[in-house]
Amino acid sequence: MDALGAERPAATRRRGARRPRPSDPLAASRRRVGFVFTLPVIGLVGSLLLLPIGQTIYHSFTSWDGTSSRWVGASTYSHLVHNPEFTRVLENNAMLVLAIPVAIALPLGVAFLIHAGLRGWRFFRSIFFLPTAVSWVVIGFVSVRFFADDGILQHLLNNTGLGFVHPNMLSQERSALVAVMITFVWSMFGTNLIIFLAGMATIDQEIYDAARVDGAGSFAVLVKITIPLLRRFIRFTFIVTLITAFTALFSLIFVMTGGGPGYGTTTLEFFIYEQAFSAGDFGLASTAGVMLFVAVAAVSVLQLRLLRVEE
Amino acid sequence: MSALGLHERLGDVRWKYLVSRGLIYLALAVITVVMLYPFYYMGVNAFRSLDQYYAGHGFSLASWHNLFKSLPVGRELLNSTLITVGAIALILAVSTTGGYAFAVLRYPASRLIFLIVIAAMMVPMQSIIAPEYVNLANLGFINHRYGAILVYAALGAPFSTFLMTTYFRRIPEEVIEAALIDGLGYGRVFFLIMLPLAVPAIVTIAVLQFIQVWDDLLVGLLFLQTPDVRPITVGLATIPSQHLLDVPLLMAGSLISALPAVIVYLVFQRYLISGLTMGISK
Repeated sequence: MDALGAERPAATRRRGARRPRPSDPLAASRRRVGFVFTLPVIGLVGSLLLLPIGQTIYHSFTSWDGTSSRWVGASTYSHLVHNPEFTRVLENNAMLVLAIPVAIALPLGVAFLIHAGLRGWRFFRSIFFLPTAVSWVVIGFVSVRFFADDGILQHLLNNTGLGFVHPNMLSQERSALVAVMITFVWSMFGTNLIIFLAGMATIDQEIYDAARVDGAGSFAVLVKITIPLLRRFIRFTFIVTLITAFTALFSLIFVMTGGGPGYGTTTLEFFIYEQAFSAGDFGLASTAGVMLFVAVAAVSVLQLRLLRVEE
Repeated sequence: MSALGLHERLGDVRWKYLVSRGLIYLALAVITVVMLYPFYYMGVNAFRSLDQYYAGHGFSLASWHNLFKSLPVGRELLNSTLITVGAIALILAVSTTGGYAFAVLRYPASRLIFLIVIAAMMVPMQSIIAPEYVNLANLGFINHRYGAILVYAALGAPFSTFLMTTYFRRIPEEVIEAALIDGLGYGRVFFLIMLPLAVPAIVTIAVLQFIQVWDDLLVGLLFLQTPDVRPITVGLATIPSQHLLDVPLLMAGSLISALPAVIVYLVFQRYLISGLTMGISK
């Protein structure tokens, strides 16, 4: 966030030097060129992100099928919230939140191991980060083969004498969501690991050495030194992981379960897609769309404020 | 303390060290297997016939033959390439010009506009799919690659502009002033000085967006529905159900669709990592 914070005062001072002469032709040219240079990004973001979010907010209060819309008012929201299917959808999102501590704790622990001056750490980092490059569609196809009744997981159980256990996870609502969550944790592992490794590189090695001299064991160092010093990075991964869970799992769910069985794996983002493009209810999709937007925006703004407070 | 005792204690410490190192490497080896096994599974089964898949051994190219015969994979890979390259070009065009203006050329209200552009990062695609679809349909942009390119560019623009602005702010003011004294205008300063200096940031954005756009499903699914324009992810995700049980064919399709992004990742890893950690570094 240094773009918004630390460097600004100095920059303002230097550039402000030319301010007192508004008639300065160079300054006028700077402002003119500056305005023209920002037009493309304003046009693109304005027409394809900001205008549609405005429309979403407006249409969240309407009944809309894509062509004609009728104003209904805030009752669209109470209707949606009292819809039992939607309650299930929110439950599923709450379940996804439960996966986040795991998606943070695992890479944090491994980052701690790798960072302890380990030979070959770059090699492990490259391998663990590999899933980041692969699409959710491909991850979903392989994941289905893993969790399917005749899949890899069942083979593993058969080969270890546990063949009497038949999890068949994709066939029941709760376990299908757990399968999605496990796949999610697997693919987030590398991303969060990279962030923690970057964070650990900012910690002064002398602090560790001092702790060792004082006789602190590895676990004590992790809990008493590393985790507190990485607080900012842990919070950042929390935000990234949460926003990914809420807004980037559509393709994985589409390929793995199609939102089923029943509403078992229909999360908020998947619900929006289904309402709009299967049920043709653009109004309801907009109402749910606003809820998703508010959730993401609230988390992001909270993150920004916490950063400010720390500085 | 006798010399022997000290020696024994040193041996003890060394032994403990070796055991802990061994355990760490063991843990990392287990995680390596967990992370790589899906890729191994994909790679092995992509080169099996259906019979060989059920038997669990043997190799053949039958799945590849089936894949290219029954699905327009070549066409879809071409579409993915055109869409990805087009979106990256557009993102780079708007984020370098915008970043330069927000960082260096600042005009009244430019800071407010910058904040609004950055705030657009918080808009999830899923929240706007309904109006976005209707707007693009009204313009006749559905099932045209440029429609999807525009949407991808808009989705990638806020973060890329943030990254470019941060980068350009780090370039010393003296560099720009010297060029101005030499008689260059602000436009030529951008093309002759700022762009060449920004190559690392440009590569970072290109790599991040390559993986983002190449791997995406949702935008293609909504805006590119006909086989002649759809990207490979859409082709795979909407594969006709008679092929869904043909695991070797699915794995061959997955492998070929994953390969370009994996290669880009392996070659440009450094830039990807720097882009990811850019958001938090102070």
